[in-house]
Amino acid sequence: MPPSPDPVQKREPVLRASGLHKSYRGGMLSRGGAVRAVAGVDLELHAGETLGIVGESGCGKSTLARMLVGLERPDQGEVTFRGRPFFARGGVPRDIRRRVQMVFQDPLTSLNPRMTVHDIVAEPLRVHRLSPDARAMRERVGELLTLVGLSPDRMNRFPHEFSGGQRQRIGIARALATEPDVIVCDEPVSALDMSVQAQVVNLFAELQRTLGVALVFIAHDLAVVRHVSHRVGVMYLGRLAELGPAGQVYGAPAHPYTMALLSAAPVPKPRLRGRSRIMLAGDPPSPVAPPPGCRFHTRCWKAAPRCAEEEPVLEAVGAHYAACHFAERAASAEKGAAAL
Amino acid sequence: MSEPPVLEIRDLHVTFTAHGREIPAVRGVDLTIERGQTLALLGESGSGKSVTAKAIMGLLDRPGTRVRSAAARLGGRDLLAMSEEERRALRGSAMTLVFQDALSALNPVLSIGDQIGELFRVHLGVSRRQARARSIEMLTLVGIPAAAKRVDDYPHQFSGGMRQRILVAMAVALEPDLIIADEPTTALDVTVQAQILELIDRLRRDLGTAVLLITHDLGVAAEVSDRVAVMYAGRIVESGEAGELYDLPAHPYTAALLAAIPDLDAPASELRAIPGAPPSPAQVPPGCSFAPRCDRASEVCRTTRPPLIPLATGSGRYAACHHSEEMLDAALA
Repeated sequence: MPPSPDPVQKREPVLRASGLHKSYRGGMLSRGGAVRAVAGVDLELHAGETLGIVGESGCGKSTLARMLVGLERPDQGEVTFRGRPFFARGGVPRDIRRRVQMVFQDPLTSLNPRMTVHDIVAEPLRVHRLSPDARAMRERVGELLTLVGLSPDRMNRFPHEFSGGQRQRIGIARALATEPDVIVCDEPVSALDMSVQAQVVNLFAELQRTLGVALVFIAHDLAVVRHVSHRVGVMYLGRLAELGPAGQVYGAPAHPYTMALLSAAPVPKPRLRGRSRIMLAGDPPSPVAPPPGCRFHTRCWKAAPRCAEEEPVLEAVGAHYAACHFAERAASAEKGAAAL
Repeated sequence: MSEPPVLEIRDLHVTFTAHGREIPAVRGVDLTIERGQTLALLGESGSGKSVTAKAIMGLLDRPGTRVRSAAARLGGRDLLAMSEEERRALRGSAMTLVFQDALSALNPVLSIGDQIGELFRVHLGVSRRQARARSIEMLTLVGIPAAAKRVDDYPHQFSGGMRQRILVAMAVALEPDLIIADEPTTALDVTVQAQILELIDRLRRDLGTAVLLITHDLGVAAEVSDRVAVMYAGRIVESGEAGELYDLPAHPYTAALLAAIPDLDAPASELRAIPGAPPSPAQVPPGCSFAPRCDRASEVCRTTRPPLIPLATGSGRYAACHHSEEMLDAALA
């Protein structure tokens, strides 16, 4: 885990999301009603920290990412940047857009194949009028490419001439062009080969150290998220099941879903094969009709009748937060067993 | 041990021809799998692992593709001496393939019962009614609840994990000697992936089938395989018993991969990244393919390709590296 930025809790967050809801309707999926992608998420992002979000497909993590950069307007709730709401009058103000950038999962489809690398990285400079003339712009693009570890003399080439890892670096250079305070990364390394993933993960860590940019790092790979994040949020069916410092969430998970997720993750250690694991039954339920009460109760081995009726709220459990009626007991039992 | 291995492949080459250029995707691969054993073929995209699987299945017989091997035997039967018809009869019965993407591997306009039943009707010639009964049996075996009711449902009515179970059911239906699973869990969520891996492992134990697991995930390979073969740029660079290979890698590529993935239990501040990217199959460097990215590479690595040779240590370990001995000595010292 990267070293923690100085006392995070006391400062004003750069990004705050409160009560975010987003549903989609229309298309084939709407036969049973709207897809409730995100259903009540609150979180804060502080300057210079990395907040990791993990969850399975369909848990709403990409929708959350899009709302955090203002690409989607929440149905309810709002996102504020340094206290200023995203959707003031109509669109997101240009100066907020400039400060909150995004890196996408697939570097090939998120880069225009007919634009040169120079034009791709220069586009945000042009849109936000950050370079006085063409020469300054060229220089700045060169600087940005150097920053992400690419040679500036390749700026007149096209995306297809680069490897997967290099393309992701181009996407990162584009995100850095406007000197953002926040970069939201949606699965930034999952399309990359495993021998290349580590390069990009290290690049994020280094950029944060040198530039102090705050990151929201969304991924399904638990080990990668733990590696880069100071704090981690675990999402299940549109809500946060658990949120807290990475060491706490991974070391002493309080929500049964987090425990199951950690237990199910394949470990590259053949010697650990016989270990006892929590096996969940079935697949995650459809976000079109999430179960009543606790969303996880249909697959939870701790579920009691209360869980089917009453939706648990995110409450403090020790140093972190969990949304489970039995969280406290779960956390203390885990501590007793593992003595971490 | 007089029983022949379930699968024996010697010196497999697959070359694609595109736009007048030859692209060697697989360049001399040997594979041996014993009965009841799981071999993981581990590699990154473009390493040739899926092409190897398709070549074994005999699915690459088309223009522009050249497949040749010195030997190819499935449970004692010589695949090279067979006619296309005979090989076709083996596919689906003696050797089967589980695909990565269950939604595109299943026919969307046929019910699940029809698709599983087809196997029994084509290969065993049983009646429609019997095929249906056997299909329900298979669905129950792979843990589909209310199988008798769901047998008439269509693929889109099942969740991703359930669809993958259906593919596994089809793969084991005729009790094959060999199941080739090509990234069977890559499209699945972590919690569902664990279920499918356990299912494949349980069926292997119960039915004594051999499994060739194609994966890019070091974790998945570690969870279920007895032996692991690591592929890089169309060749196997290292193979051995899973525990030994992970503990004491004898090829720098394997060692670098293990160091490049974050450890869930012991987070370090920096990952040891491997510089560069895997070579394109069309332009593989001379000598050792990994040399340009290798921190141990010396002059000999750039000029002479190291052969895959047995190592003195461990049980049945092979590595293709000029520096294997030093690596193992350094690790043990």
